[in-house]
Amino acid sequence: MKKLIKRWALLLIAMAIAFSACNKKLDEYNPSNLTASTVYTKAVGFETLVNAAYTYTRFWYGKEEGYQISEMGTDIWTSGTGDVYPSFTQYNNLQGSSLPGGDPLSLEWNNFYAAINLCNTGIATIGDVTDYTAAQKTTREAELRYLRAFYYWHIVETWGDVHFTTTPTAGAITEANRTPVSAFYDQIFTDLKFAVANLPATTSDYGRATIPVAKAFLARMYLTRGMNAEAFAMADDVIKNYGYVLQPKYVDLWNMGNLKNKEVIWAVDYSTNLTNNDLTTTTYPYGHSRGSNNGHLMYLMVYDQVNTSLLIRDINNGRPFNRYMPTLAYLNMFDQANDSRFNGSFQSVWTANKAGTFNSNTIKVGDTICYTPVATIPVASQSKKYVTYDLAKVYDPVTAIPIQRKFYISLSKFKDSTRASVAEAQSARDVFVIRLAEMYLIAAEAKLNLGDPTTAATYINVIRTRAAKPGRTAQMQITPAQVTLDFILDERARELGGEQLRWFDLKRTGKLGSRIQALNPDAAPYFKPYHLVRPIPQSQIDAVTNKDVFKQNPGYN
Amino acid sequence: MQVMKKTLAFKHSCRLSDADARQLLNTFRKIMKLSFIILLVLLVSGQLLLAYSSKGQALEKINIKIELRNATLKSALKQIEKQTNLRFAYRDNVLSPNTKVSFSTESRSVKQILDEIFASRGIGYNQIDNNIILYNNIVASTSGLATITSEKSLIMTVNGKVVDEKGESLPGVSVKIKGTNSGVATNASGDFTITVPSSNTVLVYSFLGYKTLEQSVNGKTSIRIVMEPTSQLLEQVVVVGYGTVKKRDLTGSVVSVKGDEITKVAASNPMEALQGKVAGVDIVRTSGAAGANVSVTVRGNRSLTANNGPLYIVDGIQYSNYEDINQNDIASMEFLKDASSTAIYGSRGANGVIIITTKRGAEGQVKVNAGTYYGVTELNGYPKPMTGPQFANLKREGYRTIGTWNSTADDPKVFTNAADLAAVQNGTSYYWPGMSLKNGAQQDYNASVSGGSEKTKAYFSMDYFKENGLYANDFSNRYTLRLNIDHQVAKAFKIGLQSQLAYYDQNLRTDGILTVENKVIPYFNPYNVDGSLAKFPGNGNQANPLFDDDPSQYINKYNITHLLSTAYAEWKPIADLTIRSNLGITLSSSRNGSFQGENTISRALSSGSLSSEANSTDNSLIWENIVTYQKKLGSHSIGVTAITSYQSSTSDQSSAQGTGQLLSTQSFYALQSNPANLKISSNYVGQNLTSGALRLNYAFKDKYLLTLTGRADGSSVLAAGNKWAFFPSAAAAWRIIDEPFMKTQNTFSELKLRGSYGIAGNAGVKPYQTQSNVILIPFSWNDVTALAYGLDPNIGNPNLKWELTGTVDIGLDYGLLKDRITGSIDFYDSHTKDLLLLQQLPATTGAKTTLANVGKSRNTGVEIALNTVNVRTGDFSWSSTFTYTRNNERITYLPNGVNDLGNGWFIGHPVSSFYDYQKIGIWQTSEATQAAAYGYKPGDIKVADIDGDGKITAAGDRVILGAAVPKYSFGFSNDLKFKGFDLNIQIFGRIGQMFVSQYALKYEPNAIENGAVVDYWTPENPTNAYPRPNANISKASEAFASTLGYADGSFVKIRNATLGYNLPASALRSIHLSNLRIYVSAKNFATFSKVKDYDPEGAGSFERPLTKLFLAGLNLSF
Repeated sequence: MKKLIKRWALLLIAMAIAFSACNKKLDEYNPSNLTASTVYTKAVGFETLVNAAYTYTRFWYGKEEGYQISEMGTDIWTSGTGDVYPSFTQYNNLQGSSLPGGDPLSLEWNNFYAAINLCNTGIATIGDVTDYTAAQKTTREAELRYLRAFYYWHIVETWGDVHFTTTPTAGAITEANRTPVSAFYDQIFTDLKFAVANLPATTSDYGRATIPVAKAFLARMYLTRGMNAEAFAMADDVIKNYGYVLQPKYVDLWNMGNLKNKEVIWAVDYSTNLTNNDLTTTTYPYGHSRGSNNGHLMYLMVYDQVNTSLLIRDINNGRPFNRYMPTLAYLNMFDQANDSRFNGSFQSVWTANKAGTFNSNTIKVGDTICYTPVATIPVASQSKKYVTYDLAKVYDPVTAIPIQRKFYISLSKFKDSTRASVAEAQSARDVFVIRLAEMYLIAAEAKLNLGDPTTAATYINVIRTRAAKPGRTAQMQITPAQVTLDFILDERARELGGEQLRWFDLKRTGKLGSRIQALNPDAAPYFKPYHLVRPIPQSQIDAVTNKDVFKQNPGYN
Repeated sequence: MQVMKKTLAFKHSCRLSDADARQLLNTFRKIMKLSFIILLVLLVSGQLLLAYSSKGQALEKINIKIELRNATLKSALKQIEKQTNLRFAYRDNVLSPNTKVSFSTESRSVKQILDEIFASRGIGYNQIDNNIILYNNIVASTSGLATITSEKSLIMTVNGKVVDEKGESLPGVSVKIKGTNSGVATNASGDFTITVPSSNTVLVYSFLGYKTLEQSVNGKTSIRIVMEPTSQLLEQVVVVGYGTVKKRDLTGSVVSVKGDEITKVAASNPMEALQGKVAGVDIVRTSGAAGANVSVTVRGNRSLTANNGPLYIVDGIQYSNYEDINQNDIASMEFLKDASSTAIYGSRGANGVIIITTKRGAEGQVKVNAGTYYGVTELNGYPKPMTGPQFANLKREGYRTIGTWNSTADDPKVFTNAADLAAVQNGTSYYWPGMSLKNGAQQDYNASVSGGSEKTKAYFSMDYFKENGLYANDFSNRYTLRLNIDHQVAKAFKIGLQSQLAYYDQNLRTDGILTVENKVIPYFNPYNVDGSLAKFPGNGNQANPLFDDDPSQYINKYNITHLLSTAYAEWKPIADLTIRSNLGITLSSSRNGSFQGENTISRALSSGSLSSEANSTDNSLIWENIVTYQKKLGSHSIGVTAITSYQSSTSDQSSAQGTGQLLSTQSFYALQSNPANLKISSNYVGQNLTSGALRLNYAFKDKYLLTLTGRADGSSVLAAGNKWAFFPSAAAAWRIIDEPFMKTQNTFSELKLRGSYGIAGNAGVKPYQTQSNVILIPFSWNDVTALAYGLDPNIGNPNLKWELTGTVDIGLDYGLLKDRITGSIDFYDSHTKDLLLLQQLPATTGAKTTLANVGKSRNTGVEIALNTVNVRTGDFSWSSTFTYTRNNERITYLPNGVNDLGNGWFIGHPVSSFYDYQKIGIWQTSEATQAAAYGYKPGDIKVADIDGDGKITAAGDRVILGAAVPKYSFGFSNDLKFKGFDLNIQIFGRIGQMFVSQYALKYEPNAIENGAVVDYWTPENPTNAYPRPNANISKASEAFASTLGYADGSFVKIRNATLGYNLPASALRSIHLSNLRIYVSAKNFATFSKVKDYDPEGAGSFERPLTKLFLAGLNLSF
């Protein structure tokens, strides 16, 4: 019996030892992941936070969702056949549909707020970084403040008086607030002033925020808020003091070999090494489903369906998504005879890339096979050697509504013939977020608003001089009497069309409704005043617990 | 080794060519249809035929004519045998060769003839079936010393009576002479008469539901046999957590399934074989892909984010890859459903526990079993997309709506491309899915050998299973090897090892082939004029899926090895005490090599091919110590089980990929040849669990049973402070049948009431959820890669703890009419709290989700199992098993008490519910004004204005339309046996679930892609099914398009029909086999549902259609 007790005791002791040994194993070993607290507290780690804060610009610039929200639903564009969200383009239904990357509003909403939270986290914790010098600290904080202002501008202009915070998120927060638009701008100006005061004047990292970048954006903000004197002063400062120059020829701006030119103030620098960009992969599941710059896909007509035996899809002509086409009004804004920006922006001639015959004519590679002029060619004068889609074949002469939406003159300035394959959706083209020409236009608009059309004309004429075809400078000059808000908007359309500013320009000038009514017959029947802000994504409405406070924007229920 | 070689050789020689097999199977299919009709007839007639005896024809009724002159008795008997099917058996000394007989030609009965021949010659006879046994009357009637010398040659008649344990006579009992096939059956009063060759002949008494009895006649001419009833059922040992218990002593809700039940259905894995067979266990296979697994839920879903799958225990060790296990190796499977049974597994038990016990060697002769089958799989219904003309009409209608098209004269405006126009005018059409889908196949070859000496016993087996999917190059090979050894080292000390190696060699097609084929324009020709494949058919934007059929262009190869090895040592220091230590190691390595050529679906729109390789290794170690003590003191029985357990598992993965390699021939074997998009990654995940548990069993007079269990679990995946939890449970049972007052009744043969309550947990949480991580975002400055760490949108929760489920279970086990009817009924109510769920956070937080303990759910239900013996005679038997499961699953609480629309979770409804607008039709022309008030026009989808506010809004007009879980499900299995034939028919039904049909959703109003054949609205066709085509509206912008997809997923299917034939022993003896069974089988033979051309078990996907399987096979043993 004693022996038995001994055995039992031994057994129990052995079990107890085994047990306590195992208990120590309950701490997690997690070598594959890094936590915020381990990374962001060191200088090398904090640098990665600042880098990451820049990456969220890529969800808007050069992306279909971004084009949908910033360029569509304006006076200059309407739906091509390939538009996956025509009801958004035409204000018919802004909710509940989806694009490849997700519902465009949700995608942008989610990522802008993710960017805000990262900036808030960085600004709030930069003090904990032990190995930064004071100068490094203020530079990085200034960058984060610049970016926060930049992201908040997109949010507040797109959605209005929605959620605002400068506090980093900790734990499971399920409420959201409604903050007046003015409070957003108070913070935007505070942050930009801090940025202007603390950023370096130049950077070796192309795409990093600098003093002129912050100033240029600040000029845009002043103009947006009707602070015209400040807007003019800031724009003029950028024009005069930082060495930026307009490219001699408008078309040079879009040359893939000339992306990093002196006219660009700030750009989203898509890497030529596409793996450095934002395409969703297994290792980066939170990316964009198409990645890099997709602007080249959006505006091209289906030239490869004009005559499949003579013209097939190739890298140079691009991969035509047929999403968007210009409104007739937009085409009519150009003075084709004198303004180089027409040919600098649009493609209206396609040449055969296969030899063959057309209407019994022998067609060699390089012969014109399709022509889409902004004119109506009498049938008798039409060539028998190529297909024409003149205005009569594209737009109804009475209503200006497109008759068909597949074949039309196409915005070609984002095309990229350096892509590896015809199907490659990712382009390494940088997206110009702010360039010098916009500063001239801001200065002009501010001066006009201040009652000084003479100075306004001077600034506009700088742009128009550059835009003039050789020997046509004089014809391009305008007089102070010609300067009106509508003229400036037309000029912006000619200069900046497709560059993701149009919707904001129309909203800022109070012309969104009236110009849609006058110039975009597809959207005119549906546009309502409440469309000046976009609907809040349903997923956000669904997820908040203070539903009585955080409600959908008016008009969208 | 010799045996292994033999079986391998056998495997090769038995392979059938596909063509032969198909022809053979077509024949079998007809047989299956016939047998199904037979069963239906039996069912419809509904008569429980109770025939007790099947004696041969009465001799007085057989009339024959024989003419003989001075013939020997032998030749006389031969004459009778010739004219009848009677056979005579006798010893040589019975018939004297000198006796001669003569007969005239008149017709007489055999009885008359026999009486005439034998009466005067002292020869007696006895009829058993069609055998007539002759014996020497004089000797048989003589007793005493004089006959001792000749006793061995005696032939004697034995009269007997068979009764049950209560003394009631048992009719229909088979009584056979051991080692022969000759025998009789007892009559209605349980009596039998048999003539035996010797006084020490052993008779074998067998009867379904009773213990088979062998007893020597021992010279008695009158015997009384008492058979023990249902001993197999009640004395059957059932495996429970960390031990075994007799079925009679079970206190929890446990269903035990024996190995032969699992091998009845040809299935790719053991769980699939049990569909519809275990009440409370829902098993569905939603994919017809080669090697596709099933999903298993026990008593509904309780978790929203954590895993709802049960815990699998194989020979005592947690092993989730049950699909590795060769069905033929399984001795039994036990399903632990209530909390008292599962609480011993603590944090892992809440979703039920499935214990798989494999076969072991036994002392005695070596036994060899082998089996094989080959079957062809074909589509179990597949809905076709539109043909060329149907598509053209849709497109015309779309353009008609916008005013472009009015008649075929306007076709050039719609079909702007000359080639398209020509194709439309010619009515060109290609059935794209038909170009990829073909018949698949399943084949299996298995063999096992078992045996052992007094000290060492072994069982080993091998299995090769191959499944070919419905596409070219879609296949899965599985090789399984097993070795189980037990060795008695000393009298009280035993060791053993169970080892299983499973190896998979697969190539899986997963490229969305059918998705593309259902949308490519049907008049596009897949081939160029020169016969080569067109990269973009019709110059459209869909890649040509036929490129993927080229085995060198689409490779997705998996090589997976799973090793499960468990060693144990068991010591019994004293009689009632057992100390056992188990060490289980599972190793798994997997390599996925993939190459996608530049023209394949996934790469056609990108640049160049993609090659990748991913490797992962998982290993886990489980060490458990179990001490069991059992003691009986008078009326009290006590059992104690104490357990410690430590479990550690780690997994690491690495992968590499690149694009654009020069030649496809390098496949994924030279990733460095890829010039672009090189990516590498690696990952580590590890977790540990430490536990201790104690179980007490107490029984008073074997009638009142009590089980108390407690387990403490500590896990690394939870937050500090919440790592440990305690899981208690209690169960009691009352064996009513054993009470004295039950002795007097005859209705019940078993009656036991059980009740239990317990708490079990759910550990289905991934590690590291308590930590807030950063994510690496690709980035560069000046084209030079730079690190960017952003915040993970899934933020960590430092308060994470266990999800707990408390379950009450009340059960009744019953047996009626001497266990002709047995079964059980269980009611349960389980409440789950602290539900782990990936809480959707407002995007304004910058985060998307966090894993949190919020929410509660509840499952209540009833489970009925009913086994009946419908017919039981010597030659024919028919037994049925019916199971019925009804589970009511619902979420009872969510964060802040509000529905979670983001995740689609609703209080009061099942976890996967469908919430959407309610389509009530299409706006008709006559309703134009009404439609306009809502902002719609005739031809648009009309949905219910639920809140009646005159507007259709997301907030007010969406409702719960249904859920993906069934309201109830049932299984009805029938086993019929007639002589050597056996027939199994199994019906499985799952009723009340809803699914989203991808096919029904595939409607493109602007005809930009092909889609389903649907009844769409036009002014002339005022249907309420689909909206009007419109060239300017894409599916994405079609309001309420999602409402088109919901469908009733209820189905009843004939899951299995198998007809087998066991060759008679006499035929087998010459080829030295003890058993040979050949069979044909049909799986998913027929499906009944409201959905056309589609098996709703597939839950809506049209990418991986489900299949029917027709097969033929054989099993043998020696």
